[in-house]
Amino acid sequence: MASILKVDTLTGVTTAGSISVTGEGNSTTTNLQQGLGKAWINFQQKSSNVVRDSFNHSSFTDNGTGTMTFTITSVMANINYCHSGMAGEGGNSQECLSQAYTQTAPTTAAAQYVNAYANTSLEDPSLACRVLHGDLA
Amino acid sequence: MASELRVNTLKDAAGNNSIATSFVANGSAKAWINFNGTGTVAIVDSFNIASITDNATGDYTNTLTSAMVNDDYLYGGAASPSVSGDYARIYTPRGDGTTSDASTTAYRGECHQSWTANAEDNPAVFSLVHGDLA
Repeated sequence: MASILKVDTLTGVTTAGSISVTGEGNSTTTNLQQGLGKAWINFQQKSSNVVRDSFNHSSFTDNGTGTMTFTITSVMANINYCHSGMAGEGGNSQECLSQAYTQTAPTTAAAQYVNAYANTSLEDPSLACRVLHGDLA
Repeated sequence: MASELRVNTLKDAAGNNSIATSFVANGSAKAWINFNGTGTVAIVDSFNIASITDNATGDYTNTLTSAMVNDDYLYGGAASPSVSGDYARIYTPRGDGTTSDASTTAYRGECHQSWTANAEDNPAVFSLVHGDLA
Protein backbone atom coordinates (compact mmCIF):
# COMPACT_ATOMS: atom_id res chain seq x y z
CA MET A 1 0.00 0.00 0.00
CA ALA A 2 1.39 3.39 -0.94
CA SER A 3 2.09 5.70 1.98
CA ILE A 4 3.05 9.34 2.33
CA LEU A 5 4.75 10.92 5.33
CA LYS A 6 4.33 14.69 5.69
CA VAL A 7 6.99 16.17 7.93
CA ASP A 8 9.31 19.19 8.02
CA THR A 9 12.20 17.66 9.90
CA LEU A 10 13.51 14.14 10.26
CA THR A 11 15.47 13.41 13.44
CA GLY A 12 16.98 10.17 14.68
CA VAL A 13 15.66 8.64 17.89
CA THR A 14 18.89 7.24 19.33
CA THR A 15 21.12 9.96 17.85
CA ALA A 16 19.43 13.05 16.48
CA GLY A 17 21.83 13.35 13.53
CA SER A 18 21.74 9.70 12.49
CA ILE A 19 18.93 8.00 10.56
CA SER A 20 19.39 4.66 8.81
CA VAL A 21 17.97 3.97 5.37
CA THR A 22 17.75 0.46 3.95
CA GLY A 23 19.96 0.01 0.90
CA GLU A 24 18.75 -0.97 -2.56
CA GLY A 25 19.85 -4.57 -2.02
CA ASN A 26 17.58 -4.80 1.03
CA SER A 27 20.23 -6.25 3.32
CA THR A 28 22.30 -3.27 4.46
CA THR A 29 21.52 0.14 5.87
CA THR A 30 23.22 3.42 5.09
CA ASN A 31 23.32 6.61 7.10
CA LEU A 32 20.93 9.15 5.61
CA GLN A 33 22.72 12.26 6.88
CA GLN A 34 26.20 11.09 5.87
CA GLY A 35 25.17 10.24 2.33
CA LEU A 36 23.42 13.49 1.51
CA GLY A 37 25.15 16.17 -0.51
CA LYS A 38 25.32 19.19 1.80
CA ALA A 39 25.73 21.80 -0.92
CA TRP A 40 26.04 21.94 -4.69
CA ILE A 41 26.36 24.55 -7.38
CA ASN A 42 26.19 24.77 -11.18
CA PHE A 43 27.92 27.93 -12.32
CA GLN A 44 29.50 29.80 -15.18
CA GLN A 45 32.52 32.02 -14.75
CA LYS A 46 33.24 32.75 -18.41
CA SER A 47 32.23 36.22 -19.69
CA SER A 48 30.07 36.81 -16.64
CA ASN A 49 29.46 35.04 -13.38
CA VAL A 50 26.19 33.13 -13.41
CA VAL A 51 24.97 30.70 -10.79
CA ARG A 52 22.48 28.58 -12.74
CA ASP A 53 21.26 26.55 -9.80
CA SER A 54 22.46 25.66 -6.36
CA PHE A 55 21.61 24.23 -2.97
CA ASN A 56 22.79 25.66 0.36
CA HIS A 57 24.83 28.26 -1.52
CA SER A 58 24.98 31.83 -0.24
CA SER A 59 27.54 33.55 -2.44
CA PHE A 60 29.98 33.10 -5.28
CA THR A 61 33.17 35.15 -5.36
CA ASP A 62 35.25 35.54 -8.50
CA ASN A 63 38.88 35.66 -7.32
CA GLY A 64 40.37 36.11 -10.77
CA THR A 65 40.82 33.97 -13.86
CA GLY A 66 39.88 30.40 -13.08
CA THR A 67 39.56 30.84 -9.34
CA MET A 68 36.41 31.20 -7.26
CA THR A 69 35.16 30.87 -3.70
CA PHE A 70 31.96 29.00 -2.95
CA THR A 71 30.32 30.15 0.30
CA ILE A 72 27.54 28.13 1.87
CA THR A 73 24.58 29.13 4.03
CA SER A 74 24.41 26.32 6.60
CA VAL A 75 28.01 25.65 7.57
CA MET A 76 29.86 22.39 7.94
CA ALA A 77 30.95 20.93 11.29
CA ASN A 78 34.64 20.96 10.30
CA ILE A 79 36.89 21.59 7.29
CA ASN A 80 37.42 17.93 6.46
CA TYR A 81 34.57 17.61 3.98
CA CYS A 82 34.83 15.95 0.56
CA HIS A 83 34.93 18.14 -2.58
CA SER A 84 33.81 16.74 -5.92
CA GLY A 85 33.19 18.40 -9.25
CA MET A 86 34.05 18.95 -12.86
CA ALA A 87 34.36 21.84 -15.28
CA GLY A 88 33.97 22.28 -19.00
CA GLU A 89 35.05 24.86 -21.50
CA GLY A 90 32.81 24.49 -24.52
CA GLY A 91 34.73 26.84 -26.81
CA ASN A 92 38.01 24.99 -26.55
CA SER A 93 38.92 21.41 -27.25
CA GLN A 94 41.22 21.20 -24.24
CA GLU A 95 40.14 19.58 -21.01
CA CYS A 96 39.16 21.90 -18.22
CA LEU A 97 39.44 20.69 -14.64
CA SER A 98 37.85 21.98 -11.48
CA GLN A 99 39.71 21.31 -8.25
CA ALA A 100 39.52 22.21 -4.59
CA TYR A 101 42.39 24.60 -4.00
CA THR A 102 43.54 23.43 -0.59
CA GLN A 103 46.64 25.65 -0.66
CA THR A 104 44.09 28.14 0.62
CA ALA A 105 42.59 26.17 3.49
CA PRO A 106 38.82 25.76 3.36
CA THR A 107 36.71 26.97 6.24
CA THR A 108 33.48 25.52 7.56
CA ALA A 109 31.63 28.12 5.48
CA ALA A 110 33.63 28.44 2.27
CA ALA A 111 36.09 26.74 -0.03
CA GLN A 112 38.20 27.98 -2.92
CA TYR A 113 38.35 26.21 -6.28
CA VAL A 114 40.53 26.52 -9.34
CA ASN A 115 39.60 25.69 -12.90
CA ALA A 116 42.47 24.93 -15.23
CA TYR A 117 43.24 23.45 -18.61
CA ALA A 118 45.10 20.17 -18.62
CA ASN A 119 48.26 22.15 -19.39
CA THR A 120 47.77 23.89 -15.99
CA SER A 121 46.83 27.34 -17.31
CA LEU A 122 43.90 28.80 -15.41
CA GLU A 123 40.66 29.31 -17.32
CA ASP A 124 37.20 30.61 -16.53
CA PRO A 125 34.83 27.69 -17.20
CA SER A 126 31.60 28.01 -19.14
CA LEU A 127 30.19 25.26 -16.94
CA ALA A 128 31.43 23.97 -13.60
CA CYS A 129 29.69 21.89 -10.95
CA ARG A 130 30.73 21.26 -7.37
CA VAL A 131 29.20 19.15 -4.63
CA LEU A 132 30.17 18.91 -0.96
CA HIS A 133 29.75 15.84 1.26
CA GLY A 134 30.62 15.76 4.91
CA ASP A 135 29.29 16.66 8.32
CA LEU A 136 26.91 19.57 8.60
CA ALA A 137 27.24 21.61 11.80
CA MET B 1 14.06 3.29 21.57
CA ALA B 2 14.85 2.35 18.01
CA SER B 3 11.96 2.58 15.59
CA GLU B 4 11.36 1.77 11.95
CA LEU B 5 9.23 3.80 9.58
CA ARG B 6 8.07 2.31 6.29
CA VAL B 7 6.92 4.89 3.82
CA ASN B 8 6.92 5.42 0.05
CA THR B 9 6.95 9.20 -0.16
CA LEU B 10 8.22 12.07 1.98
CA LYS B 11 6.65 15.53 1.86
CA ASP B 12 7.09 18.62 3.97
CA ALA B 13 4.34 19.44 6.47
CA ALA B 14 2.60 21.66 3.93
CA GLY B 15 2.40 18.77 1.52
CA ASN B 16 5.03 20.19 -0.86
CA ASN B 17 8.52 19.12 -1.94
CA SER B 18 7.51 15.52 -2.43
CA ILE B 19 10.22 12.94 -2.88
CA ALA B 20 9.93 9.19 -3.14
CA THR B 21 12.00 7.32 -0.59
CA SER B 22 13.55 5.43 -3.51
CA PHE B 23 15.19 8.72 -4.50
CA VAL B 24 16.44 9.17 -0.96
CA ALA B 25 18.08 5.75 -0.98
CA ASN B 26 19.29 5.85 -4.58
CA GLY B 27 20.41 9.47 -4.50
CA SER B 28 22.46 9.29 -1.34
CA ALA B 29 26.19 8.86 -1.63
CA LYS B 30 27.15 5.45 -0.31
CA ALA B 31 30.70 6.45 0.55
CA TRP B 32 33.03 9.43 0.44
CA ILE B 33 36.54 10.15 1.58
CA ASN B 34 39.00 12.98 2.03
CA PHE B 35 42.52 11.56 2.37
CA ASN B 36 46.18 12.51 2.35
CA GLY B 37 47.97 10.34 -0.20
CA THR B 38 51.52 11.38 0.62
CA GLY B 39 53.87 9.53 2.93
CA THR B 40 51.86 7.20 5.14
CA VAL B 41 48.40 7.60 3.66
CA ALA B 42 45.85 8.92 6.12
CA ILE B 43 42.08 9.34 6.10
CA VAL B 44 41.14 12.93 6.99
CA ASP B 45 37.42 12.22 7.05
CA SER B 46 35.17 9.61 5.45
CA PHE B 47 31.87 7.80 5.33
CA ASN B 48 31.58 4.03 4.83
CA ILE B 49 35.32 3.68 4.24
CA ALA B 50 37.02 0.92 6.24
CA SER B 51 40.57 1.46 5.07
CA ILE B 52 42.84 2.85 2.39
CA THR B 53 45.76 1.03 0.79
CA ASP B 54 48.73 2.70 -0.85
CA ASN B 55 49.49 0.38 -3.79
CA ALA B 56 52.17 2.49 -5.45
CA THR B 57 52.86 6.11 -6.29
CA GLY B 58 49.49 7.83 -6.72
CA ASP B 59 47.70 4.46 -6.75
CA TYR B 60 45.21 3.86 -3.93
CA THR B 61 42.53 1.30 -3.03
CA ASN B 62 39.64 2.36 -0.83
CA THR B 63 37.86 -0.48 0.98
CA LEU B 64 34.22 -0.09 1.92
CA THR B 65 32.69 -0.98 5.29
CA SER B 66 29.22 -1.86 3.93
CA ALA B 67 29.49 -3.54 0.54
CA MET B 68 27.75 -2.56 -2.68
CA VAL B 69 25.30 -4.95 -4.36
CA ASN B 70 27.46 -5.13 -7.50
CA ASP B 71 30.60 -3.57 -8.99
CA ASP B 72 28.75 -1.30 -11.41
CA TYR B 73 28.57 1.72 -9.14
CA LEU B 74 29.73 5.24 -9.92
CA TYR B 75 32.95 6.40 -8.34
CA GLY B 76 35.25 9.23 -9.08
CA GLY B 77 37.13 11.98 -7.46
CA ALA B 78 39.55 14.82 -7.61
CA ALA B 79 42.95 15.76 -6.33
CA SER B 80 43.96 19.18 -5.14
CA PRO B 81 47.06 20.92 -6.50
CA SER B 82 49.98 19.79 -4.34
CA VAL B 83 51.79 23.13 -4.33
CA SER B 84 50.62 26.66 -4.93
CA GLY B 85 50.11 27.37 -8.62
CA ASP B 86 50.60 23.75 -9.60
CA TYR B 87 47.21 22.98 -11.10
CA ALA B 88 45.60 20.20 -13.14
CA ARG B 89 45.93 17.16 -10.94
CA ILE B 90 43.29 14.48 -11.43
CA TYR B 91 42.13 11.32 -9.67
CA THR B 92 40.73 8.71 -12.01
CA PRO B 93 39.21 5.25 -11.65
CA ARG B 94 41.82 2.61 -12.39
CA GLY B 95 41.26 -0.33 -14.72
CA ASP B 96 43.20 -2.69 -16.93
CA GLY B 97 41.97 -1.21 -20.21
CA THR B 98 38.98 -3.53 -20.40
CA THR B 99 37.44 -3.76 -16.97
CA SER B 100 37.55 -1.61 -13.86
CA ASP B 101 39.34 -2.57 -10.70
CA ALA B 102 36.19 -2.04 -8.65
CA SER B 103 34.61 -4.84 -6.63
CA THR B 104 31.62 -4.83 -4.30
CA THR B 105 33.90 -4.02 -1.37
CA ALA B 106 36.70 -1.86 -2.82
CA TYR B 107 37.61 0.51 -5.62
CA ARG B 108 40.93 1.70 -6.97
CA GLY B 109 41.94 5.08 -8.29
CA GLU B 110 45.05 6.88 -9.42
CA CYS B 111 46.30 10.45 -9.07
CA HIS B 112 48.32 11.92 -11.85
CA GLN B 113 49.14 15.05 -13.74
CA SER B 114 46.50 15.71 -16.36
CA TRP B 115 49.01 16.24 -19.15
CA THR B 116 51.14 13.15 -18.59
CA ALA B 117 50.71 9.53 -17.58
CA ASN B 118 52.91 10.10 -14.55
CA ALA B 119 51.24 8.99 -11.33
CA GLU B 120 52.01 11.09 -8.29
CA ASP B 121 51.14 11.13 -4.61
CA ASN B 122 48.83 13.96 -3.65
CA PRO B 123 48.19 15.51 -0.24
CA ALA B 124 44.46 16.16 -0.72
CA VAL B 125 42.44 13.52 -2.57
CA PHE B 126 38.65 13.25 -2.58
CA SER B 127 36.38 10.54 -3.92
CA LEU B 128 32.70 9.71 -3.89
CA VAL B 129 30.60 6.56 -4.47
CA HIS B 130 27.02 6.38 -5.73
CA GLY B 131 25.17 3.17 -6.51
CA ASP B 132 23.28 0.32 -4.93
CA LEU B 133 24.19 -0.78 -1.45
CA ALA B 134 23.93 -4.51 -0.71
